[in-house]
Amino acid sequence: MSSTIVPTVPTGAHEPAERAPTDWRTQSMQKRIRRRYAAERRFRFFGMAAVVLSAAFLAFLLVTMVAQGWRGFTRTDIAIEMNFPAIALPVTAAQLRSPAADLALAGAGLENAVKAAAAQQFGEGGDDFISDRAWVKVRDAIKADPAILTRTVRFAVPASTKIDQGTRNGGEPEFRAAAARLQAAGLLSRSFNGNFLTASDSTDPVAVGIWGALKGSLLTMAVTFLIAFPVGVLSAIYLEEYAPRNRWTDLIEVSINNLAAVPSIIFGLLGLAVFLGSWQIGGVTVGPLLPRSAALVGGLTLALMIMPVIVIASRNAIKAVPPSIRDAALGIGASPIQVVFHHVLPLAMPGILTGTIIGMARALGETAPLLLIGMRAFMVTPPGGFTDPATVLPVQIFLWSDEVSRGFVEKTSAAILVLLAFLLAMNGLAIYLRNKFETRW
Amino acid sequence: MNVYALLFLIAGLGLIGWLTARARAARFDRGPQKRLHSLPSQHGWYVVLWMMIPALLFLAVWNGLTPGLVRQAALQDPAAAQLSDFDFERDAVLSEARRLSEDPQATGDPLAHQLSHAVGEARSRYKWIGTAVAVLLAFAGGAFAFTRIRASFHARTRVERGVMLLLLVASLIAILTTLGIFLSLLWESLRFFQQVPITDFLLGTHWSPQVIDAADPGASLGAVPLFWGTFFIGAVIAMLVAIPFGLMSAIYLTQYAAPRVRRWMKPILEILAGVPTVVYGYFAALTVAPAVRDLAVSLGYTYASSESALAAGLVMGVMIIPFVSSMADDSIAAVPTAMRDGSLAMGATTSETISRVLIPAALPGVVAGILLAVSRAIGETMIVVMAASGAAKITLNPFESATTVTKQIVDLLTGEAEFDSPKTLAAFALGLTLFVITLLLNIVALRVVKRYREAYE
Repeated sequence: MSSTIVPTVPTGAHEPAERAPTDWRTQSMQKRIRRRYAAERRFRFFGMAAVVLSAAFLAFLLVTMVAQGWRGFTRTDIAIEMNFPAIALPVTAAQLRSPAADLALAGAGLENAVKAAAAQQFGEGGDDFISDRAWVKVRDAIKADPAILTRTVRFAVPASTKIDQGTRNGGEPEFRAAAARLQAAGLLSRSFNGNFLTASDSTDPVAVGIWGALKGSLLTMAVTFLIAFPVGVLSAIYLEEYAPRNRWTDLIEVSINNLAAVPSIIFGLLGLAVFLGSWQIGGVTVGPLLPRSAALVGGLTLALMIMPVIVIASRNAIKAVPPSIRDAALGIGASPIQVVFHHVLPLAMPGILTGTIIGMARALGETAPLLLIGMRAFMVTPPGGFTDPATVLPVQIFLWSDEVSRGFVEKTSAAILVLLAFLLAMNGLAIYLRNKFETRW
Repeated sequence: MNVYALLFLIAGLGLIGWLTARARAARFDRGPQKRLHSLPSQHGWYVVLWMMIPALLFLAVWNGLTPGLVRQAALQDPAAAQLSDFDFERDAVLSEARRLSEDPQATGDPLAHQLSHAVGEARSRYKWIGTAVAVLLAFAGGAFAFTRIRASFHARTRVERGVMLLLLVASLIAILTTLGIFLSLLWESLRFFQQVPITDFLLGTHWSPQVIDAADPGASLGAVPLFWGTFFIGAVIAMLVAIPFGLMSAIYLTQYAAPRVRRWMKPILEILAGVPTVVYGYFAALTVAPAVRDLAVSLGYTYASSESALAAGLVMGVMIIPFVSSMADDSIAAVPTAMRDGSLAMGATTSETISRVLIPAALPGVVAGILLAVSRAIGETMIVVMAASGAAKITLNPFESATTVTKQIVDLLTGEAEFDSPKTLAAFALGLTLFVITLLLNIVALRVVKRYREAYE
């Protein structure tokens, strides 16, 4: 150690004393190394455990939802026999061919006839075994083929909630026994419940569907997008390309960053106070500026919430476009506006769209602000427009989740599956866009 | 005329303006220098801006004013003399009258029937005035702009100035939103603090808004139990889950995992952040809470609540994991590889390098990430609305029930309550507190990063 490579340079007397090399083979050293390696393995194991447990939680959540939710897409059917010649519904063939067939069959007492048939076959209280909407299926069958009115036909109609719960050993004991009896007689079957995707909210879990809430969600998302996207992109362009660096633009920048971190429920309070509160403008009291619990208000509120997300994503995308593109466009005589709108913006668009989709996905799953602005009413008809009272999918889930006792559990889980499917599709689209258009300059 | 039809009409007029102005500019006599200052389409846009912007601005203002004007007109009607003096009843009758004016077949209050005629008349009158003025403005603006375009006219400069103005307005919306949030919260909170002393609210330890004594509303509106519950669930229990899991996941994925594993696991963890909170809430209430209660019972707590702080906090912590992990991931990745390699070259094991070199170097980023995660946890709503209880208690026992600020805001505002009662206004005071706290946490987090971040290279 003390010998030098270059012979002419003398080794000084103040050179540190030579240290004996570490003997790695001594027992104490070996023990120490083993301990350190054990610590290393432990640490590594904890890291892996953290990742695996987090993923396991996600898997557990999804499996629980799917296990409960798939039943929401199916329903229990119960077989009943309709002896039409004996019932002799007072309808004529001409009525059944006319557009008023629904009305004629309802007026002829088909609903009571179906109930009576159920009571006759299943004994006292048997009309409780079939769903309130069971007769609709019989009606549709008659409309499709009026000839069945001349003979006895066996239908598989939707069973009531009580029977449906009974098939899974839930609900009231008396219906559990009835369900077991029917099962043994081979009268029960399961079928796909298409009604769940096309119907709206109802008090009867057999008849509920998510279409009303889904349509409300789509309308709300449309408003959110139409406001947040242009405003977000335009302000990103301004801040990134044109804004002078001064106190005002700093203020705008700080506001945007802070807005991105404001809890979502605060936006609900804003919507409630600003859009739905009453205002004094020049001595005239202006009532709610916008209609209560409408998709318009919900969309506006969510637009304010996700705008900062879009601004931040758009700024990053615009920043990533290399200056040489701008210089080249400026060099051949384009004006600053033309540079941005003809060159920079098209190149930044994939990044902007990715950010927007992620923001929209967040808005789609948001519940709390919409609860505050009143989008939680019981809504039997889907909204017809932006100003009609509406509810959205997450709020529908929240409302159904309160009805655990009435057999809404599987419907809630099924609605969650639909919502998750939408979110996964949106995130998948965002990832696809990012991968497809990713450019390295 | 229907608002949508009117917007469509104005857009159509704009299109016609664009086409005619562009066609006209294309046929300009170019003069000796043979080049126009502006492109024909820029002349077109100039006309469009003049046609649409004044008309749309007018419509926006007019639509805001119309309900008030209609109301004023209805109150002028002789039948309005019978209206009740109470604002609430009067508004109910007037809104019913509006509904009846749209659908005369509907049934309703007889007074509303009498008024519906006046309301309907005023509505259609103001609607037609609005339509006429908007169309007139569009034509006047278009004509003005059209007469100005000629070969020497600098349309490009004008249009670009207009576009810049549009961009500026767009970015001002952020400030307006921030201001709107702050002012609306402050305004309603001030009304609240006129009825309830601020000291009672901030320092009182008894929270029961269901029964408010009109003589002393402050006695049952002390928010300390809510602040404690929020802190206990969001900053203690949730962070006890989120920090170790998030940090260890980030470390494992950046330092140990094979690139393939990392490519798969990172998005999977991020899905956790993308699951809607209402789903977590449902999961917490339906699956986790009963399990936690059973656990508590088996540990000997006979009075364990099924709406325990632990259930809500655990699920919230899981939701926050990806948030902590991606912040930690970023700040660990920002530490130069040379430092890591140097430590490894000295003979340190990977775990020693991580705990003695990487984490201390990345600490400001990690701390900032944790602060942001706390701010997110205390603002989280749906999980606590569905899984936490409404009973405000100050307790250290995680198996007991606890309530939070956000849960109380939802409870206060979704009941049947009039708008002026201290009960409803209290929600805004709680909102203001929440807003200020999360804002402070964010500012502190940004400061930490700015001040203590080591500048490498």
